[in-house]
Order: sequence, then structure tokens, then C-alpha cells
Amino acid sequence: MSTPTPPTKPPLLEVRNLSLSFHQQEQVAIDRVSFSITAGSTLGLVGASGAGKSSIARAIMRLIKPDSGEILFKGKNIFMMNSQQMMATRQRMQLVFQEPFTSLSPRRTIEQSLLEPLQHFAIGDTNSRQEKTRQIIQTVGLDHDVLRRYPHQLSSGQQQRIAIARALITSPDLLIADEAVASLDVSIQAQIIQLIQSLQEELGITLLFISHDLAVIRQIANDVAVMYQGQLLEQSPADTFFSKPNHPYSKTLLSFTNNKAPTSLPVENWRLDRGRTTAETTSNCVFARSCQVKMPICDQLEPASHQIQYRNQHPLGPHYVKCHLYEEVNTNDT
Amino acid sequence: MMGGAWRRLKSDRYGMTGLFIVIVFSMVAVCVWSGLLGQGWSDVSGNRWESVSTTHWFGTNLLGQDILQRTLFGTATAFEVGLLVTFCSTLLGTVMGALAGWYSHGWLDEVILWLKGVLDSIPFYLFAAAVAFALQGIPWAMHLAMIITFWTTTARIIRGEVMRIKQREFIEAARAIGLPSIKIIFRHVLPNTFHVLLVQASIVFVAAINTEVILSFLGLGIQDGVSWGLMLAESSQEVLAGHFGNFVAAGTSLFVLLMGFNLLADALQDALDSRRATA
Amino acid sequence: MSCHALKVNDLSVWFETDSGRRQVVDHISFSINAGESTGLVGESGCGKTMTALAILGLLPTSGVGVSAASIEINGKDISSLNAAQRRAVLGRDIAMIFQQPGTALDPVFTIGHQISAVYRRHFGGSKKHLWQIMLDSLEAVGFSRAEKIASAYPHQLSGGMRQLAMIAMATVCNPVVIIADESTTALDNSTKSLILKQLERLQLQHKTAILLISHDLAMVRQSCRNVLVMYCGRLLERTDCQSLYSHAQHPYSAGLLSCIPQVSANRPPRISAIPGQVPSATDLPSGCHFAPRCIRVKPQCQQSVPHFDSEDDRAVACFRPLS
Repeated sequence: MSTPTPPTKPPLLEVRNLSLSFHQQEQVAIDRVSFSITAGSTLGLVGASGAGKSSIARAIMRLIKPDSGEILFKGKNIFMMNSQQMMATRQRMQLVFQEPFTSLSPRRTIEQSLLEPLQHFAIGDTNSRQEKTRQIIQTVGLDHDVLRRYPHQLSSGQQQRIAIARALITSPDLLIADEAVASLDVSIQAQIIQLIQSLQEELGITLLFISHDLAVIRQIANDVAVMYQGQLLEQSPADTFFSKPNHPYSKTLLSFTNNKAPTSLPVENWRLDRGRTTAETTSNCVFARSCQVKMPICDQLEPASHQIQYRNQHPLGPHYVKCHLYEEVNTNDT
Repeated sequence: MMGGAWRRLKSDRYGMTGLFIVIVFSMVAVCVWSGLLGQGWSDVSGNRWESVSTTHWFGTNLLGQDILQRTLFGTATAFEVGLLVTFCSTLLGTVMGALAGWYSHGWLDEVILWLKGVLDSIPFYLFAAAVAFALQGIPWAMHLAMIITFWTTTARIIRGEVMRIKQREFIEAARAIGLPSIKIIFRHVLPNTFHVLLVQASIVFVAAINTEVILSFLGLGIQDGVSWGLMLAESSQEVLAGHFGNFVAAGTSLFVLLMGFNLLADALQDALDSRRATA
Repeated sequence: MSCHALKVNDLSVWFETDSGRRQVVDHISFSINAGESTGLVGESGCGKTMTALAILGLLPTSGVGVSAASIEINGKDISSLNAAQRRAVLGRDIAMIFQQPGTALDPVFTIGHQISAVYRRHFGGSKKHLWQIMLDSLEAVGFSRAEKIASAYPHQLSGGMRQLAMIAMATVCNPVVIIADESTTALDNSTKSLILKQLERLQLQHKTAILLISHDLAMVRQSCRNVLVMYCGRLLERTDCQSLYSHAQHPYSAGLLSCIPQVSANRPPRISAIPGQVPSATDLPSGCHFAPRCIRVKPQCQQSVPHFDSEDDRAVACFRPLS
């Protein structure tokens, strides 16, 4: 189940130095973010709301244009593709959204919604398309009779299954789930997690799973990347992350999930869900203001992303931390 | 979705009254167009200012023309103006509003907003007079003036709706598969503005009929045929002389039809309210 | 009997529709002691919010029917009050915290204005006094610079801070009962924890009774002593939180518990889920409503409704409870 993918496998998706600011709100959404996902594995992107997770998803889907950086899909930069190549690439990656109800066109039947990608990419003929919708409906665990219904006639769990079905109908290689279970009840959330897990096993699909909920990430991800105010602060294999988180922010996040909230923190200091404006300097560590183990240097110098070296353990994958604390202990066995 | 709306409309007594009135009037209009009614509107069939009788139910006018015939024909005129103006201005407003909303804050939006701003800032009757004057002799001058000015409200409403809808995730989903904008607008955005459009169209219809009456009264209205506005214009002299035929017939028809339409529009708004539809 | 801060007796809510009555709350009874929190849990569409709105008397009058033997706050029945009398009770004796702090606050007034308006409505007082009361309530929920928050408009605050302001508004009159309806669902885990902590602290101070409505058992566990499990308008289990987590008796409660993903150093086992979905109120299954989704179902379950003892501290409505 958690078999680590051999490091020799080429990444399906690689994001290099991606940056994006929303000029109207003067807000930094993504700040020099780099990561890669190996084919067939799952990267859990975690962070508070407003940390820039969704912006990354939308940049990968080419729904928004980043200021700089590269996104490589199967080794090819998607910003350098011509329209034909882009069309082919779009077919290979799909997105599932947070709100199941608003992610389906309200005045189109489920069947019309499912057929649309097939028609657009000109996959198969009319009969095979209809066959395919029936198949996919079964794959996501629904009955054929939902095909004729409208989104508002379905429950939120069913709607989310349809949204997943629509994403899967073109048999993509990469599925991006942007808070896909966040607005669902725990019981339905569990069903959808189950579904995604079994689909991944069946189809060998690569997954970028975005969530603010570490417990959900724990269920699904092989690797974890922690995002804060547009930057990636820590990146590591999930097993390492959950047994030994390194970055102070990761530790804070994990402490919250264990239901131990520090009461000492004054309310105004929860800047967890506030963005950073372009005017704010980037010459310090972004987390410095809320960090409980802050050192003088944190206010002056932005830390680089260090790879943690493990002496004894065999690493499941590289482990990066963007924190001054780990500069000295770089070579030690942490 | 539409089934629920119809059910809600059906249970609305005022709405159904409005619908009944509108249907009666539109049947009259259809009958006029197909030559069954009101064909004698220009015939002189009696003496001047005859009072109410079995041959002339509403009496006759200055020239001895039958007022009933003229009222019936006026109904057709009202519908002709209403339908034509509503259709054209709604179409224009929808396209402009959709483009402006979809490309909001872009140059196209700026241009459309500027155009709308200019048109909205000109006093309407002045503008209509100018258009009517410029297009003297062309029978559609009044219609054109109305279309040019009426689309702006529809465009503003549609623009807002489109800006709201385009942030929904199903639009992003459509963009994510690379669907071209024009397809997204027509397939995913505009169908969701249908309920607003229907209500707005009914408001434009009322406004068009109203405006026709006023423009005709001012002498800027229709050139060929008879309308309630022309009848009211005639009556302004007659009322002083104590002849109320034209005034009562045209005024009552106008009032009843507009009220019917307003009742229907209100009921439609309630019935199509998407919040109630999803609840 | 009078020791209960909130006592709900035989409450039912139904919708009148074209196709007949839709029972959304089905004869439920429960009580909360002063200073205690009770969680009301269940999936969406189980009637939790309807229960809350019915207690407060906030349901629309047309198309909705409500009946209750009694709804008592500190022994005083509020179910038979008229609209004006009820308004005098709302906010003073019983307050509600809603799910969306963004829409529950009026965007055109400052936070301070909105909070003091609640207090003025019930107790009046001078401007200065009101201002002080309002600042105290903001400080009580954890704002250290209350003046700044008081003069802010809702859109200037983050979601978590808005929710805290809502709590300040709900607690300004020191109500006997607070009903919190999914009030932290829309927030991050970290913010959620902090808010629950603040609510807990206030409760200890003022001996408030809290009815915490949520679909999230993990959250209820964190902050409640007792828990009520609701499904399709009926209560299925009542127990204290500890025993629910150590050994839930109703298969539905057990199913809900198994849905909660866990954070652990080692990779957790595959999550399990309750199969199927909540039936719609128009075609509820006969007998035990949960029977079609239950793994322990037996023929009896589909024929008759299991008894739910409304007096006992621990009760379960099941023919084959887990033990």
C-alpha cells in the first residue's frame, strides 16, 4: 500500500520556482515553489486556507498564468506548448474541486456533464461515449439512473462522485484534488477517500491532493509538502513527516490535529489565514512572526531550503526544510 | 427545475390572473395579425363622435371611425412594438452583457461599459426624438430608438450575473478541459441566466409598450397604423369637448395589459428564484 | 427537574409538502445541565439544524409544523411563548452561533456596534456602560486589543476572528444556553481548536450550557461531556463522550467513529465508511431508519422501531447494540 516509489522513476509533474502574485489585491499567492510528483504516487499539499494551495492547482491546470517559473508535465514545459500539445496535455490532467454543488453545471444533466470532455477531446463515437459514461458511473459507485438527473437532485456525496467521474472520464494521468473532501460530512468524506484510494490502486493515477486537514493527508499521501503564505516550508515522505516533522510550522500544524491547542497564543497572532502582500519584504522567514522558536536571524535573512541528510535511515525520498534551525544540523542525524 | 417553477407559478393567484390577461390580449393581437379582427380600423363607418351603441361599442372618433376597431388594432401594434423591442434589445443586451462580464476589467468590458454609460446619460425622449428625426420616413425609427436604449439595463444585469457565475467551479472545470470561451459562455454561463433574462424581458416588454404610447402621444411614434398612444393623443382634444371614447378605450386597455404583465413578471420572479428552487 | 439548563420534551418538526408530511425531527427529548456541553451529531440532513431552529422558535411559520410538550430553559417553558415574548428570551437566555460567521454578521456595522446592540436590546444602559460591556465580552473570547476589533467591520477580520466575534455577541448577555450549529466547520483545524478552547473557557466561567451541533465526532469529543447521536430525525444513542469513543453501542455511532481519519506516525489502516447515504425524508425506511445501511441488521429492525429510553443517562435505540 505504501510502497515507496523507486527514486529512479521520472517525475510525472515537476514544478520549478513557480511564483505568482495577484496584482489587484497586491497579494503574493505563490512564492518560488518547487516540487515534483513521481508517476503513480500521491503528494499531499497541506496548509491553511489562503496559503496558495489552490493557486498552484490552477497554475498547473493553466487556468491562471504565473509570473515566473516552469511547470513540466512528462518532462515538457506546459507554458511552451502549442495549442495542439496543450489540448493533448489537458486531456491527461484533471481537477476535482471543493464544492461539489458548484462544480457541476446546474442546467445540464449529469450525462451531458460527463459527455462534454469526451466530445471536446473527440474521444470515441456516440455509442462508445455513452458506454463510457455508464462505465465511469459504475466505477464511482453510482447507478445509471443518475445520468438523467440534474445536480440539484443529488446529494453532496453523489455530486462529488460525479465530479470525480467527470475528471476521470478522459483517463488522465494526473488528478488534482483541491480540498475535494473539505466541505463534506465526515461519513461522506470517508466514502470519497475510500473511492479515491481504490481508484488510484485500480488506475495507477498520480494524485496531487490538496487539503488543510492533516488527518486526510495522512490517509492518502505518500509525500507531504507544507505550504505557508505562498512558500513551501517542508517537503518529505509522509511517514517521515508524521513521525518527525522538522519545521516549526509543521509541528504547530500537527499539534493542532492532536487536539492540543495552545491557549497562550493571543488571537491576533493567528495570522494563519492571512495572505502576504507584495509590499511586505521577503528578506525574512515568512513564518518568523508566528514562530515560537524564532531566532534573531529569522527576521533578517530568508532561510534556504535544506535537504536533511539521514545517516542511518534509508530515506524514502528527499526531505527538505526551509528553516534556519536546520542549517547547522544539516549533516547530523536529526 | 422548470417544473417546480411552473408549479409555484400556478399556485400564485395574482400571477395566474396576470397570465390570463396577457394571454387574452395576445390572442387579440394574433387575431388582428391574421385578419380576423380590427381590420376596419381606418374605415369611416359612422358620424363623428357617435356615442356608445350596438354598432359602435365604444363609439366613434372625430372622423367617424369605430373606436373598438381601433383599440383592437392598437393591441396588435402594442404587441408588435413590445415583442420586437424586447427580442432585439434582450438579444443585444445579453450578448453585450455576456461579453462584458466574461472579459470583465478587460478592454472589451471598458468599451461596452463606456457605450452603456453614454447611452444611459442621454435623456431618453430627447434621444428618441433625435433618432426619429434622423431616420425620418423609416417606419422603424421608434423601435430602433428603443432597442438602442433598452439593451443597457439587460446588459448590466447579465454582466453582473456572468461575473458571478464565471467564478463557479463548473466554469473552471470547463476551462480546465480547454473549452473555448465562446462555448463556455453559451453552454454553461448563459443558460444559468435564463431566469433573470425572462423576468428582465417581461419588464422591457412593459416599458416598450409604455414608451410607444408616450412617443406616439408626442408625435414621435408609429407612422403607419393606429396605436393606443395615437388614440390618447387624439383624445387630448376630445376630452375637453366631452368625448371620452378614445381616452377610456385606449387608457383602460393600456392599464389592464400593463398590470397583467407586471403581475406576471412579479410572479415569475418569485417562481424562478433559484434560492427557492434549490431549497 | 429545575436543575436542567435546557430541557427539550417530545419535540417534533415536519414539513407540509404536496406529497404529504415530511417528518424531519421525530419526537425527541433531551436535557443539558448548567455548565455542561452536549454534542448533537449526525450526518447532514438528519434534522440537527431543524432541532436547533425549533428550540429557538426560528423556523418559518408557513409549511413547517412544530410540536413540543415543552422546551424549558431553567425550568421555564418557552415553547408556548408568543413572538414578542420569544424575542425577549432570544439572545438573553438562549443564544445561537451560526455556521457562517461571514454572513451572520451585518457587513455595514462595526463589530462593537453589533455586540452592544444585543446587550442594549435586553438590558439597556448608558453608551459608556454598553461600550465597556462589549469590550469585556471581546476580551473574554481572547482578543487582547478589543478596542481595535470593536471598531472593525466584519470584512476586515479573518474567518476565525469573525467566529470569535460571533461568540462574543452570543455571550454578551450571559445566556443560560448557547446553541452552536456547525460553528467551526468552515474553519481550519488550528483555528477550530482555538475557538473551541475559548468557548470552553467561557463556559467554565459562566456555567453556560452548550448544545454543540456537528457532523464531526472528533470535534465533539474535544469539547463535550455528553453526546446525542441523531439520524433521520430520531435520537439513536445518548451517552457520555468517553464511553461513546471507547465502546459505542449503536452501529451508527460506531460507523461515524470509524469515518474519522487519524493522524499517526505510522501509516493508518484504510479508512472505513458507512455504506449508502441518508435517506430523504420523503421515503424513510420503516422500522429503524438506519436498518438499510446497518451491518448488524436483523429482520426485526425493518418491522418495528427500537425503543429509546428518554430518562436514562445512557440509552440506545437498537435491537442489536454493540456491547
